[in-house]
Amino acid sequence: MTHTIRLNVNGKEHTVEVPSRRLLIDCLRYDLGLTGTKEGCSVGVCGACTVLMDGKPISSCLALALFADGKEIVTVEGLAREGRLDRVQQAFIDYGGLQCGICTPGMVVTAKALLDENPDPTVDEIKEWMMGNLCRCTGYYKIIESIQGATALEPGGE
Amino acid sequence: MGRIEGPAKVTGEAKYTADVLLPGMIWGKVLRSPLPHAKIVSIDTQEAEQMPGILAVLTAKDLPDLLTGRLVYDMPVLAIDRVRFIGEKVAVVAAEDPDMAEDALASIDVEYEEMPAVFDAHEAMKSEAPLLHPDYRSYAHAPQKFFSDIPNVHSHVTWELGDIDKGFALAKRVFEHTFNTPAVHQGYIEPHASVVAIDPDGRVNVWISNKMPVRARELLADVIEIPEERIVVHLSQIGADFGGKGSLMDAPLCYHLAKRTGRPVKMVMTYTEELMAGNPRHPTSIFLRTGVTEEGQIVARQAKVVFNSGAYAAFKPVPFVNIPGAKDAAGVYGTPHIRIDAYSVYANCVPSGHFRAPGDLQVNFAVESSMDMIAEDLGLDRLEFRKQNFLKDGDWVPGGPQLEEVRVAETLAAAVKASSWNQPKSQPNRGLGLAVSHRLIGTGEANTQLTLKEDGTIQVLTPVPEVGTGAHTILQQIVAETLFLPLDQVRVETASEIFKTDSGSGASRVTYVGGQVVQQAAGELMKLILAAGAKGLGCAENEVVFEGGRVVHSESEGSLSLAEVAKLGGDGKSALRVKKSLNLSEGPPITTFTAQVVELEVDPETGQIRLLDVVTAHDVGTIINPLGHQGQIEGGLLQGVGFGLIEELRMEDGQVSTLNLGDYKLPNIRDIPPLTTVLVEEELGPAPFHGKAIGESSITPTGAAIANAVYDAVGVRFHDLPITAEKVYWALQQHSGGEG
Repeated sequence: MTHTIRLNVNGKEHTVEVPSRRLLIDCLRYDLGLTGTKEGCSVGVCGACTVLMDGKPISSCLALALFADGKEIVTVEGLAREGRLDRVQQAFIDYGGLQCGICTPGMVVTAKALLDENPDPTVDEIKEWMMGNLCRCTGYYKIIESIQGATALEPGGE
Repeated sequence: MGRIEGPAKVTGEAKYTADVLLPGMIWGKVLRSPLPHAKIVSIDTQEAEQMPGILAVLTAKDLPDLLTGRLVYDMPVLAIDRVRFIGEKVAVVAAEDPDMAEDALASIDVEYEEMPAVFDAHEAMKSEAPLLHPDYRSYAHAPQKFFSDIPNVHSHVTWELGDIDKGFALAKRVFEHTFNTPAVHQGYIEPHASVVAIDPDGRVNVWISNKMPVRARELLADVIEIPEERIVVHLSQIGADFGGKGSLMDAPLCYHLAKRTGRPVKMVMTYTEELMAGNPRHPTSIFLRTGVTEEGQIVARQAKVVFNSGAYAAFKPVPFVNIPGAKDAAGVYGTPHIRIDAYSVYANCVPSGHFRAPGDLQVNFAVESSMDMIAEDLGLDRLEFRKQNFLKDGDWVPGGPQLEEVRVAETLAAAVKASSWNQPKSQPNRGLGLAVSHRLIGTGEANTQLTLKEDGTIQVLTPVPEVGTGAHTILQQIVAETLFLPLDQVRVETASEIFKTDSGSGASRVTYVGGQVVQQAAGELMKLILAAGAKGLGCAENEVVFEGGRVVHSESEGSLSLAEVAKLGGDGKSALRVKKSLNLSEGPPITTFTAQVVELEVDPETGQIRLLDVVTAHDVGTIINPLGHQGQIEGGLLQGVGFGLIEELRMEDGQVSTLNLGDYKLPNIRDIPPLTTVLVEEELGPAPFHGKAIGESSITPTGAAIANAVYDAVGVRFHDLPITAEKVYWALQQHSGGEG
């Protein structure tokens, strides 16, 4: 059975026909072509697929596309505005918060939500918030530095 | 400075193989064996073929009767008559979408006849063990020189120095220790992906998460029987490698499905498939026999290292089809008499492959644990015992060169100094451990093509994909530095089709071999630029210099920009271009040392280990990119922590039981220990600008340092990794029971 859903992704309205069991990640990646959102573990552990739904980070590999009907979604493609990187994106480059980059979309989206909610987090708060995002390359030290570094930058992006 | 592909990666623009979307693309999914060893009696695909959306169902009978592998060809694309591990590919389905493909798999009916299986490498070496590959000797590229008469041993490599019998005759005391380490997954977050699209003229386009695209093309050509010239490997970003992304994985199947259906085909492994049928670090057992004189001098080291290869040797890339790290079984200690035997053994488990510093971690855990045990037995201080035996300039290492510029003592001293080693023990259940390792820089072949483009930029073409190590940034820096140009005037781009052979990324090779080839090519390009510039300025070559990004005639001060020189071209028409290849088969005599000190606390109630402080000290040359260099140290270190404390691909009778990233624990952000990095710098390295390797350094000694610290804390010696809370808990129960 298919359904028609309407969702706002990165400020743009979309109407999509999806089967009931279509996952949000597949809807974003394949129906809308937004392949910035990555699939790692497929079971909601690694955080690579994190997107914001109405401002809150969720695992798009666990959410049905139907669940996003009428919702506002922000993916990694929606962070930079008019070619200007969000401060979190800029800080991840400047502080070496990324290597292979596969976890990075989920990382920057999750970190963005953190700073929206808590503009000046402590290291422990960063760890608590980010523990659902796995990175195998960096050992996380530079991810923490990136997020701390971002707090010192102008918000940029939006 | 940040990496050049940083902006693409933080915006989601960077394309990985799974992101490739082509018009008309369909999906492939495989059916895997539920049995560890069985004959395939029959496969009935009829029902699956009738299902909606199913475009093809293939089994081995639809494919050429060929085997594949990174070096030895011993693995079928789909199981031929027989399965050898749980997770082996038996049939493949192509469908309009992945869900349909998945549904169809359940309708394929395979009848098996179970065969006796063997899971443990030592069991597999016994005469009564079932033979997995009776025809091993006939496989293409099987290394004859390393054949063995021991059952299931497909490679037996020996490294020797001195005379081992003589060594033990000199020894006053002889110690024997055995250690074991489990299978560990590389843990890259991007599962293997492949896409194949066949052009109307028959050209085969391949996208693949593979760090050695030139080699991949060669291997693919053999197994799909298409000439290499008809195959193009398009380079994508790789969502990390750590040694695990060097095989073809599902690319041959994508090709066969694409050929059958006339549509582009994508296959992406799920993480469950990765854990069940990836190519994890080899489960290893290490037996050490050590001869020591009365004065505490190590005079003999015998090692028997047994690697469980799993069902196929196909994921081992080196010519002897064994694991190179075994040669470090004497550690960083100058030992006059050494004999190391490494056995790689077939068993009915997931095939093992390379993982960052392959073999090094396993063997270092054994060597560095034994150093503490021997020191204690001899009543020597564990630090002094090491120092007394350290390698010196002029010492040989097994399978390596006669060393120069040995800086192991300085490296360990730096680690000790930065730690609380010399402070009195603070509290009960706390302990300190140390371990030391070394790694020779990698050799191999590297290629590049440098072109002066009409806009005055330098295009650097490399067949090395970016796996996350920052290789492209390093190549850009080396070229810019060599040509005295700003970084943004050098563009690194990937291309595999213009190069015939290449070793790709791995073995801490890229900065060394890849760096040298771009450096040499840049030097040659500069000569061409000066010659063309001189011609344009109407003067002799020796009258021009390169200054401020321009070719300048010193006398008249007339000058040309690089863009102007490019337009003049080499002979008036063609572009200024240098294509260069460099093949280094022998490494330099300089190695790199790592010393780590770990301080930890054991909770005696739960067995939980908390890392209080980690110091990692590195013997480094000129650091070309500090941010990338430190990133390699930190990332490797946390993988070492995972190896020491957390990670294990658990198997029961060949069945992996940790089948998702919830059960297979990778360290997360809350697992990171407080870390101090000490760089013992000296401009002595063999890489361009006197750099040294770093990629496989910090991961190696961590497991041993942790094990030694646990012993220091609670007096329990672990011979098996990982040292989980559960193991510690039970060991403490037994320990106190024994004493009480």
